[in-house]
Amino acid sequence: MRDHLVFYLNGCRQQVGDSRALLTLAEFLRQEQGLTGTKVVCAEGDCGACAVLMGRPEATSQEDGDLVYRAIDSCVALLFQLDGCHVVTVEGLACGGKLSPVQQAMVDCHGSQCGFCTPGFVTTLHGLVETQSHHEPLTSVGGGLSAEALRYALSGNLCRCTGYQQIIEAGESINLATTPRLAELYPDPKLKSELFATVKDDVALAPQNGASPWQVFAPSSLEAALEWRAKHPQAKIVSGATDVGVQRNHGKLELAEVLVLNRIGELTEISVTDGVLHLGAGATWTAVEEAVRELLPEYHAVLTRFGSPQIRNFGTIGGNFVNASPIADSLPLHFVLDAELELASMRGVRRVPITEFYRGYKQIDLAPDELLVGIRTPLPVENERVKLYKISKRRDMDISTVTAAIAVTLEGKTISRARIALGGVGPVVLRMPAVEEFLTDAELTADTMREAGKLARQAIKPLTDVRGSGDYRLQLVENLLAKSYFDLQEVSAGSAPLPR
Amino acid sequence: MPTVGQKLPHDSARGHVTGEALYIEDLPATVGELWVECVGSPVAAGRIAAIDVEAARRAPGVVGVFTARDLPGRNHFGPIFHDEPFLADDEVSYIGQPVVVIAAESRAAARKAAKLVKIEVVEQPALLSIDAAIAAKSWLGPLKKIARGDFDAALASAPHQLSGVFESGGQEQFYFESQAALAIPGEFGQMRVISSTQNPTETQSVVAEALGVGMHEVICECKRMGGGFGGKETQSSIPAALAALVARHTGRAARIVYGKTADMCVTGKRHAYKSWWKVAFDDEGRLLGLSVECYSNGGAFADLSTSVMERTLFHLDNAYYLPAAHVTGQACRTNLPPNTAFRGFGGPQGVAVIESILQEIAEKLGLDALDVRRRNLYRDGDETCNTTHYGQVVRDHVLAETLSELEKSSDYRLRMALIEEFNARHPTLVKGLALTAIKFGISFTTKFLNQGNALVNVFMDGTVQVSTGGTEMGQGLNTKIRQLVADEFGLEIERVLMLTTSTEKSINTSPTAASAGTDLNGAAALEACKQIKERMVAYAADVFAAQNKLPRDPAQVRFAENFVSDARLADPAARIPFGEFCGRARRERVDLGARGFFATPNIHFDFEAGRGNPFFYYTTGAAVCEVTIDRFTGEMTFDRADVLMDIGQQINPGVDRGQVIGGFIQGVGWVTNEELRYDDRGALLSNGPTTYKIPNITDLPPVFNVNFIDNPKHTINVGRSKAVGEPPLMLGIAVWCAAKHALSFMGADQSSGSRSLRIPATGEELLRCISAMPTPVADCTLGP
Repeated sequence: MRDHLVFYLNGCRQQVGDSRALLTLAEFLRQEQGLTGTKVVCAEGDCGACAVLMGRPEATSQEDGDLVYRAIDSCVALLFQLDGCHVVTVEGLACGGKLSPVQQAMVDCHGSQCGFCTPGFVTTLHGLVETQSHHEPLTSVGGGLSAEALRYALSGNLCRCTGYQQIIEAGESINLATTPRLAELYPDPKLKSELFATVKDDVALAPQNGASPWQVFAPSSLEAALEWRAKHPQAKIVSGATDVGVQRNHGKLELAEVLVLNRIGELTEISVTDGVLHLGAGATWTAVEEAVRELLPEYHAVLTRFGSPQIRNFGTIGGNFVNASPIADSLPLHFVLDAELELASMRGVRRVPITEFYRGYKQIDLAPDELLVGIRTPLPVENERVKLYKISKRRDMDISTVTAAIAVTLEGKTISRARIALGGVGPVVLRMPAVEEFLTDAELTADTMREAGKLARQAIKPLTDVRGSGDYRLQLVENLLAKSYFDLQEVSAGSAPLPR
Repeated sequence: MPTVGQKLPHDSARGHVTGEALYIEDLPATVGELWVECVGSPVAAGRIAAIDVEAARRAPGVVGVFTARDLPGRNHFGPIFHDEPFLADDEVSYIGQPVVVIAAESRAAARKAAKLVKIEVVEQPALLSIDAAIAAKSWLGPLKKIARGDFDAALASAPHQLSGVFESGGQEQFYFESQAALAIPGEFGQMRVISSTQNPTETQSVVAEALGVGMHEVICECKRMGGGFGGKETQSSIPAALAALVARHTGRAARIVYGKTADMCVTGKRHAYKSWWKVAFDDEGRLLGLSVECYSNGGAFADLSTSVMERTLFHLDNAYYLPAAHVTGQACRTNLPPNTAFRGFGGPQGVAVIESILQEIAEKLGLDALDVRRRNLYRDGDETCNTTHYGQVVRDHVLAETLSELEKSSDYRLRMALIEEFNARHPTLVKGLALTAIKFGISFTTKFLNQGNALVNVFMDGTVQVSTGGTEMGQGLNTKIRQLVADEFGLEIERVLMLTTSTEKSINTSPTAASAGTDLNGAAALEACKQIKERMVAYAADVFAAQNKLPRDPAQVRFAENFVSDARLADPAARIPFGEFCGRARRERVDLGARGFFATPNIHFDFEAGRGNPFFYYTTGAAVCEVTIDRFTGEMTFDRADVLMDIGQQINPGVDRGQVIGGFIQGVGWVTNEELRYDDRGALLSNGPTTYKIPNITDLPPVFNVNFIDNPKHTINVGRSKAVGEPPLMLGIAVWCAAKHALSFMGADQSSGSRSLRIPATGEELLRCISAMPTPVADCTLGP
């Protein structure tokens, strides 16, 4: 058991055992380290100005492998989540007074104007460069970064001045072959070996002299987590903190007693067995996104618009499911595929159908000693077509106004089975039994789906809020079902039958 | 080699990419420095009954709690009318209006204490909308009017008429660095304020008034802003004054940095407008007369609202000749935060009205909208159609050429045909294409503001410092002025350094606004250079004559490539290195420093008569935009943009291109997804990036061509350049017109659908228009 956090910052070892562990990473950088290059604008993970690079051993890394560096939003990352990480800020990228090729490209191409968002763009661009050595290249033929890859990777960084075009041009001009990766910028073997060695430790933090009471437990195993959880049923559970951090920054949540799950390797596993997709609750959205690219292209498409790349790099599927937002982009698919949630405690493991897990607005079927450990989702069968919708004001980095999942199993032109789930129209994601019943044994025609839309409209009473009026949501639901007639044709035409 | 015309990097780019560039919040704290938080009114309208600050005063870390009665000076300020209190003491007029100021040892302590303040208000009914203000005749300033010809007669005799109501929403500046100031107390009540401000002189003046001291006892400095966009033209003086108040009372440095949500909730924005219009036109879509009554939502205090409205009236013609016109404008007083400057300054709200009208005329007549626009364009040199409705001749422009070139380069005709075909057959999508233009008047419409001053110091080693009244907010002002000065002395750029803008160096300055930063301050800097060079030339002529036994001829002295030379001497060895020359000049007691001043010539306007030449010149351009709208959801994608602008000779093509693209995309944001939503109490609901959606990188059109057109006729202004900051923003309106065009394919009936489209055209707004059509989409028969 360790009583302090160990992490590295721009190559320097840091050890924190006091209440600074409760700061956000951005606060620690700016207030404690004087690293003011990292800017905080929104403090809610919605602009990317505070993006930094976080390197850590991932489940996929070998013992002797490299750290995997990804951009995260430091404004909502809490220091106590960073044990075993190497954090690299914008100050840590220039080498010996020489700008990194990414920085130089931003200078040469007029990628900055006022400069306030620039550090976030620079770090995120470096994060994109990092992925080129770890994953399928997103690069264009010329060996540089394509505009498409850049848009995708930078969709979590807002800029108000440039109109982005010159940032894209800067990205395109980066020569990947001559841009050093972070492992080359920080070759110190001690850094890596020490961080890899931290993985097995449980970390327990508490005040030395009992000042204001707080405690943080960051175990490395599920067993330790469950044991601690049983004794601390009031503790706040933090996984990716991408919502907890926001609430904390807005003064809506005081973090005092915290169970941190993001160091538990066994919770990050993703597998497919007998046509069932198993997603470990601790898997980051980036990991899920990569896993479903071929398996569930519709889901993959929605996930590329979920939060932002920085949020997906740190936020977890378990945290998202337990957060129980009725407008979570992630949920409708699992509702129509009749997913089950695995809940564990020292008493054992139980499975709950997802449709029963959510009992009311932000109310879930989770006992005080339980943790969500995984999601089991049967994949679509061969003649089943699934269409997902996310309607938001802005395409990317926006919270949904309405979400919908429509799954129909077809025997010829006849719908033998239909499942429909809607988000953003009630306190929880809703299945539409009346509509499903109407569609069962009906022929898939434009008229049928228009009629289904009218039925769905009658089944919901959506609220008016900042994202849209109730009337707008009603019209959307009606129209989405009508439109799905056309899109369901395309799902079958555009992609191979989904694997079972 | 001259630097003007070169794409040199931004002056601060290196600091931006390494994090070394410092903003207010990044400045190292001095010992004892305090954090300042402000507590605002909980309601939009009412009278303060009681303020209880006792709990806050006793909270840990709190050093002082202040209210209006602690202000040493006057409690009123405002750029045009002095109608706004720093701290409300009786009446409150908008939610968040500053009432109590807290100073504490840390930001966390100040924020905690702020929650303990209780402000009791006897609430009164609040006016929130333009309609409510009109009903209550709640105005800010007088009605403004400009008229030409007999509009009623034109309307009566015209072959066609249309009328309508046009609404555009407000827009948040969304500068990334929130309002911020650091006040450092000096000796004997003097104050130094480091402010994120576009307007150091105004800040200096306002702080002096708040503290009850002379302007000579206050210094305001601004190294850079993390964005301004107009939002820091007047409103930055409030946090500066509050920080100064704390510094005065405590004798300690005091820093205030608004949180993003607080900033969005309490500061003013682009004005929402509602305009009633009537237009008369002939069979070919030629405008015969236009009448528009504009009303803006000014918020609780005047701020710049009357001035913004003037610019709206000046831009209701945009690039089009109005034979008869009758336009009026009235700013409304409501219970929202006082609305203020935002890039375009009322121009966008005027331009959008006429562009929307032209789109409707084309639709009504079944004509191509580009043809209609071309027929109405101001024609250079043609006296029958080259004068604005306020009497200024529009000259030396290339508007016609811009439209022709863009029509060709964007494949407008071919794409229009393809779109018509696409729309006829596609079951779920509909496309639209539109070209809109811009003719934006350059100069402050308040004449006295059209002045700039600059300080140039040449050191004895041949390096140069420049400071102007202009402020750097990312727009590249310092980069451009640095280039102008370097070229003037024939120096490499590294030998010239731009200094922090300070009221110690440049006095009685105008805000860096109205796109005129480089025009005014660049010209002033060149004027200073000219003075220094005159003295240098006189001395150099002596030196070259004496050294080379030549007749003394100042006309032969040259400054180039870091040398001073005599044109008659071919031998490079005869040149004097600039540094050496400066050292020698100093020893001969030649003054190597100067202050330059510039006042824009030939501008005047008579507001009573509504006649004059308010603008030095116009910046012009046009854009063609294509969009695709989902017939079922109203979701819109922006497929292609072709932008073409005349900005004269570019001082820095990299900087200027950035201004065009950035401004354009900001305009696209205004007309698409940037929507301010308030609750029925007047509280802003879309108060952070989570709920207020500025354009994302993925909102850029996949095909995005930005080009510039030559204009040999433009021979005035510094370096024959043109102002570039604001005009491209209004080309974003092309996206909105493309959406309107797309909708026109969906509704046969002009009384609904596309005609009711408002700004912003959000998905919800588009679906509202689609659903209002005679054949709502869910009922129409489409596809197989």
